[in-house]
Amino acid sequence: MPNIPYRDILIGARQEAFKMRHFFVGVEHLFIALLEIRGSLTGKLMQEFGLAPEYVIDAIRRKTGKGSKQRLWAGIPNTPRVKVLENIAYDIAMEAGRDEVYERDLLTAMLDERDSVPLRVIQALGITDFDALRNMAQNYTLNSETQQAYVKVEFGSGFNRDEMLTKEQLFVLRRMFAEYAQIRVEYRLTGGYSQATLLVVTPIRPDQQEDATVAVKIHQVDAILDEAQRYESHVKAKLPPMTARIEDKPTAPESSDLAGIKYTLITQNNQPPRDLRAILAEWEAEKLSNWLTDTFFPTFGNKWWSQNREFRFQVWREYDWLLPPILTLELVKDKPLPPNAYVLRMPVKRAKLNRLDFGDMVAVENFVVQKVYAERHAIQLAVGQGTDSASAYKIEVRGIDFNSDTYYRGEVVENIIGTVWQTRSQQLMNAIRALMPDFDAHNEKIPVNLDGLEKVPNPILMYEGLLDSFVNGTSATIHGDLHPGNIMIGPKESAFLIDFAHTREGHTIFDWATLEISLLNDYIMPYAGETWNDARRVMGYLLKLNGGDFPNDIPEPLRSKLGVLKSLRGLVRPCLANENQWSEYFIALAFCSLRALTWETVSLAGRRLMVLVGGLAIHELRTRFRPSDDNTEDTEDTYRSF
Amino acid sequence: MKNMKLNVMIMSGSEDGTTLTYDPSQGDGQEVENAWQISIGRKEENDLCLRNDTYVSRFHAYIIWKNNRWWLEDCDSTNGTFIENAQDFFDDQPIKGTIGIEEEQLFRVGRTWLRIQVIE
Repeated sequence: MPNIPYRDILIGARQEAFKMRHFFVGVEHLFIALLEIRGSLTGKLMQEFGLAPEYVIDAIRRKTGKGSKQRLWAGIPNTPRVKVLENIAYDIAMEAGRDEVYERDLLTAMLDERDSVPLRVIQALGITDFDALRNMAQNYTLNSETQQAYVKVEFGSGFNRDEMLTKEQLFVLRRMFAEYAQIRVEYRLTGGYSQATLLVVTPIRPDQQEDATVAVKIHQVDAILDEAQRYESHVKAKLPPMTARIEDKPTAPESSDLAGIKYTLITQNNQPPRDLRAILAEWEAEKLSNWLTDTFFPTFGNKWWSQNREFRFQVWREYDWLLPPILTLELVKDKPLPPNAYVLRMPVKRAKLNRLDFGDMVAVENFVVQKVYAERHAIQLAVGQGTDSASAYKIEVRGIDFNSDTYYRGEVVENIIGTVWQTRSQQLMNAIRALMPDFDAHNEKIPVNLDGLEKVPNPILMYEGLLDSFVNGTSATIHGDLHPGNIMIGPKESAFLIDFAHTREGHTIFDWATLEISLLNDYIMPYAGETWNDARRVMGYLLKLNGGDFPNDIPEPLRSKLGVLKSLRGLVRPCLANENQWSEYFIALAFCSLRALTWETVSLAGRRLMVLVGGLAIHELRTRFRPSDDNTEDTEDTYRSF
Repeated sequence: MKNMKLNVMIMSGSEDGTTLTYDPSQGDGQEVENAWQISIGRKEENDLCLRNDTYVSRFHAYIIWKNNRWWLEDCDSTNGTFIENAQDFFDDQPIKGTIGIEEEQLFRVGRTWLRIQVIE
């Protein structure tokens, strides 16, 4: 849509000003209006720089914030800066022999002026060369999308055709490789909890020459663009020299909710590298243990886990986000809050929260919007910064009409009222019921009938107390989603990682607890059977492992496979704040297992084991690995033999 | 100090783009114990009055020239005075008490961003 006249832009800007309760038209409203017009020059240019228009809109809204409900003047006046821009744009139009100002004139004026809020925002998002942008704004021709060359997509023999890519994923993929004639999707990498699609792709040029194989991640626009930002600020400088890196800017087509990002892979003899999950079935357990200890840990350890610093934190701050939302609410509008209604604000009093029931009215105060689910008419609120991946106390609010109410990520919502649709306890109880327990899930103890251990605490009823305890741990750069699907094995069995969507400064041993839980599900449980009693048997072996006992009577192949966990714990030890205090690790294990318990992608047997692993972790924290009280000498929190 | 003028540009909000000039030789601001200060707030009595920002306190902050440099002081305002955070553009840093501030640096009182610029 070339030549959008200024008067049309101004209409959009006024609507935006109204939605944000600003009641004046500033440059930010004009810029957002330009981005909201499908096919606008401004939107196209942002995409050229790897930014989706919606993402930029959110960022501008986050920086300006919503105004107060109080209106101090009539009408919607333009700011002095807008008046200056109007004059510059008018001059540009005049020079071109026109008496009407178009989008291109306005955008050029903004880029000449440079001091406005939206330009400061796009600068913070990585567009720093305004001269280049101005040049592009002057010369860019708007092509219609149909002119795009067709990229042929074929699938390699390793690709499972039962799980085909969707039309939208193929669209993004073709855009990402627009300069190629053809691509071959080699295989799919199994994702973590993010539900992103990870593919290994070989691009092929028109002369049939194959370029280096890359990993491609396709996911929701916000998630991909956040990952690119996070990579720039947290990851890039801390990677070992030979590893996967994010290549280019992300591709975020305007007409799609999805976006894509490429990771370079290190290949040899044109053999695409493989992920550890694919290797698990091939390697002997001993080889895997040695590889984790001698190759994997040293490759990343120096810049990541071994650079740890003392970090004392309350458990909920690092681990609450792994659990389902504390509340799911149905929005209530224009109704007064009954006097006895529950008001949820910081500090959150969870005891009261647990007494809530379906239909109860709740007010939530000063929570931050984490996610906007436009198609589901819902938002997710939480405590903590908008861009932080570890944020606590998620609340889902449904039934939002985005036509009348604007919410943007990072917004602090002063007050929102809803009725309870589901609590966290109910959601966890449903998850455990789906596993057809052979015990009463409402009981505080779960029977395990092992030698020396009759019962373990029921984790879904007993995790609460842990959230308030303090951990004397360490923090470091962590991957944040360290499962075997994200660990790659390159030439000469070198190690590298992909998928930095959750990389952050956090509790050092979280990565290892995540990996242990993944190995239990993917590597150990498939060899143990499906029933609750099979899960109990595996839990019994873990109990022994926790005590430093690794008896010979464990049948193969379980014994060798559990040996990998033993090696993994050997890697955890130097990451602990105190070599003999394992409580921080068992806290992490408890929450990682509770998370996996709610995942439908984990097998039934795996989820059953997760219930018991969570219970066992809490049992160990009450007995063998009691956290020491602050400022007192350590108790018997020791972990023998490793 | 006599030959110096202070320009403050409003960088956001309904008065975005407005430049205000303060000249001590014209009696702008107040001279207090080897210092010269410009008061910022929602009340009309302030040197810099931000009447349209309801997040600004009646007496919110001071820009101060003292010991040959500029300072920014928050007067225990309700919604705070902030500077930009170099690590995270979207997580502004609240200031406590008085901090040193450079020319061209942006700071926020209530919801309004400001920038100082000095004319010798």
